[in-house]
Amino acid sequence: MDLQKFTYDNRISRLFMLATIFWGLIGMLVGLTIAIELIWPTMTNGVSWLSFGRLRPLHTNAVIFAFVGNGMFTGIYYSTPRLLKTSMYSDILGKIHFWGWQLIIVAAAITLPLGITVSKEYAELEWPIDIAITIVWVVFGLNLIMTMVKRRIKHIYVAIWFYIATFITVAVLHIVNSISIPVSLVKSYPIYAGIQDALVQWWYGHNAVAFFLTTPYLGLMYYFIPKAANRPIYSYKLSIIHFWALIFLYIWAGPHHLLYSALPDWAQALGVVFSIMLIAPSWGGMINGLLTLRGAWDKVREDPVLKMFVVGVTAYGMATFEGPMLSLKSVNAISHFTDWTIAHVHIGALGWNGMLTFGMIYWMLPRLYKTKLFSVKLANAHFWLATTGMLFFAIPLYFAGFTQSLMWKEFTEEGFLKYPNFIETVTQIIPMYWIRVLGGSLYITGVILMIYNMVKTIKQGTFVPTEGDEAPALDHKKPNKDKGHRWIEGKPLIFTVLALVAILIGGLVEFIPMFMVKSNVPTISSVQPYTPLELEGRDIYVREGCYTCHSQMIRPFRSEVERYGDYTKAGETVYDHPFQFGSKRTGPDLAREGVKTLRNYKPDSWHYNHFMSPQKMVAESIMPPYPWLINNDLNTSNTAAKIRVMQSMGVPYPEGFDERALDHLKKQANQIAQGLRDGGIDVEDQKEVIALIAYIQRLGTDIYRESNESIFSDK
Amino acid sequence: MTTENENNKLNEDHYEIDTLTNDKLIKGHEYDGIQELDNELPSWWKWLFILSIVFAAVYMIRLWVFRADDLMQAKEFQTEMADASARQAENNAGEADFELVLLEDAGSLASGKETWDKICAVCHLADGGGLVGPNMTDNYWIHGNKLEDMWAVVENGVLEKGMISYKDQLSKQQRLEVISFIKLEIVGSTPANPKEPQGELYE
Repeated sequence: MDLQKFTYDNRISRLFMLATIFWGLIGMLVGLTIAIELIWPTMTNGVSWLSFGRLRPLHTNAVIFAFVGNGMFTGIYYSTPRLLKTSMYSDILGKIHFWGWQLIIVAAAITLPLGITVSKEYAELEWPIDIAITIVWVVFGLNLIMTMVKRRIKHIYVAIWFYIATFITVAVLHIVNSISIPVSLVKSYPIYAGIQDALVQWWYGHNAVAFFLTTPYLGLMYYFIPKAANRPIYSYKLSIIHFWALIFLYIWAGPHHLLYSALPDWAQALGVVFSIMLIAPSWGGMINGLLTLRGAWDKVREDPVLKMFVVGVTAYGMATFEGPMLSLKSVNAISHFTDWTIAHVHIGALGWNGMLTFGMIYWMLPRLYKTKLFSVKLANAHFWLATTGMLFFAIPLYFAGFTQSLMWKEFTEEGFLKYPNFIETVTQIIPMYWIRVLGGSLYITGVILMIYNMVKTIKQGTFVPTEGDEAPALDHKKPNKDKGHRWIEGKPLIFTVLALVAILIGGLVEFIPMFMVKSNVPTISSVQPYTPLELEGRDIYVREGCYTCHSQMIRPFRSEVERYGDYTKAGETVYDHPFQFGSKRTGPDLAREGVKTLRNYKPDSWHYNHFMSPQKMVAESIMPPYPWLINNDLNTSNTAAKIRVMQSMGVPYPEGFDERALDHLKKQANQIAQGLRDGGIDVEDQKEVIALIAYIQRLGTDIYRESNESIFSDK
Repeated sequence: MTTENENNKLNEDHYEIDTLTNDKLIKGHEYDGIQELDNELPSWWKWLFILSIVFAAVYMIRLWVFRADDLMQAKEFQTEMADASARQAENNAGEADFELVLLEDAGSLASGKETWDKICAVCHLADGGGLVGPNMTDNYWIHGNKLEDMWAVVENGVLEKGMISYKDQLSKQQRLEVISFIKLEIVGSTPANPKEPQGELYE
């Protein structure tokens, strides 16, 4: 048969590789900044866009979508054409994909520090950016699928399976979770509310970990480990079983982020059992990666690339065992809301994603530049810095999370909380936060060494823009005699559809009852919508990223009910677009902050002083000051529109209330401000802080209200 | 015999041997130079997977069929609270001979200071000068300065002013200790930034 000639485009891989390392460094430096802010809360005093609550989403987005995202595209654009013996379908689509993705990252880097956010974790970006992501993602998927269509190899390799699963699942997750109704160009409300919003969000959040951080990197593992070690894949059968089991089971496990929340027991139980069933499929990937190195362990000792792969895959194995353990309710009762989770995710990010990315780049770079790596010694130094950095990061945080959780739960013999003041449990773990900063710094130092090594390698080499190859055309007329799984490997479009079916089932089984069966969200008649001022205050709460440090979900434990008041009910959250449960308690829970008879209640004047300077009220507080809330005037230009959007989603404001909303807002603001002025505080009605205080004083109060009469009925 | 020979022939056709591990390579599985071995699933891995599925089935059956108490969080919570109140009742038996008299011993005052720093200082400031709450160092009192008056404030709170009740978070002994500490150590001291007097002057 005639051999056809074609080329592999190295330029697109190089672009993505450079972007990976550029954004990676930035994402990590932002992480280091917020880690320092936790021990030095007044560091960025008064600069709103540098405050923890605004930078933390930037850190997570940058590392996930900019560092790991570009990393996966680097490897996908390098391996896909070589595995399919063809050039990519379209260089133009590749370029649109690359520049579109970078533009989205830039947009995120601008909007998140400005407080333009939906507050759904790892899905914080506002609707215009969400639309851009959808378009760019479709461009990527089209390029991937069309490349498969014009392939010259009949069967698609396991790496490609994982790329397919990544493309379709992320598309589904992103679209379903991001549906929202715009108020303006930079503000929208998700159509889901409260506990339902939480279920959708953590279905997304958990599977962003699965299908953005895990499946594409398993694909990369299946290409770069055998290439770098020059060894065959350990077991083809294991590839098949663990691939399908992984993608089918993963999608169900989202509710493990909501254990002991107001989510019904059945949904929580699904989150538990599907997480446990994920251990073996995840480990299937790990053993297929590690056992591929059998016969090459002597190479592993010397080659920094393989060393990084081994530590990366081992970190994957650790994180995917720990994850299911954290999904057991008894363990989750301790770990949830603490730094334990932060440690866990950094084993994944620093170990699995980081090490695999670095190893891939050290392997690929000399090939792209037709030279040797400038310094193997420096790469080895990077390996040790990254490994020790990861350990210095994670171990103290495990200790911190465990310690703080036990302190939250401890009672005295008299039956009182041993540490009634939250700050005691914070002060206790500050030394661990210092060590974390050290660990992160070590890790970043490694990356800087790598950048130096890359620059030197690039300088000594010559870039190879395209590489030629040849192969016979695929004969489509030849009958497909394959059996079983081999058959669908020869039918990539059918493969894609089957993968789509596999990842849809879990979500549907959980969503349909949660949205259709009323008993899953029992109504509470005294729960009413937020007043316009409270709604504006809530938007400030969202803007400032308060949810990054404060939960609003009291779990049904004696220690939490004692500290924060009655546990949170699903029916209390029905007007919360978006939900604000949070996932971390760096500060106390705020679900019932406004209830005057509970121990956490603070008067308006306390909140005012506390926003101005938390340290003035609680000397050891690690909350940053918010002076801009006291200086800024509340923007009420969209208040009426916000009420209308809420009404369109079924929030029962009285008819025509949007027109009265502003009057209502002003009246309530005047009451609060007057109260503060009576107490000697010099403040004007229209300041942002007034709205935020109004919201905070409303939190959790509805079920204590005696009358069911509408709070909007009087003018 | 023929069948065996045929099988062998088929296998030879289908497989090559990887020289480093003596495992079989699957013929025709080659992607950009990457080959695949025909190894079986490790049996410990298979058992791990099967056991996790059994765990899942048992777990769901316990919840759906047997309505197990430990899987239903509302019941779990009730049990935890009932246990605690039973223990509480035992402990409270000893509180019957409690007497409301000023404590002057160093131990009680030290323990009172601990409570003050932990709880009261949040609003009255550590030196008692007051900020959100009133100045506790002067002789002006809104709700009276007798032991019984102060006891009532700590016990019931003054909700409209933002002072909450502490009867659920401090034992009687702790409440008495902190009141004694205020009367003996805070009142009459000199704070850095005293809040202006509130209430009436008591001599």
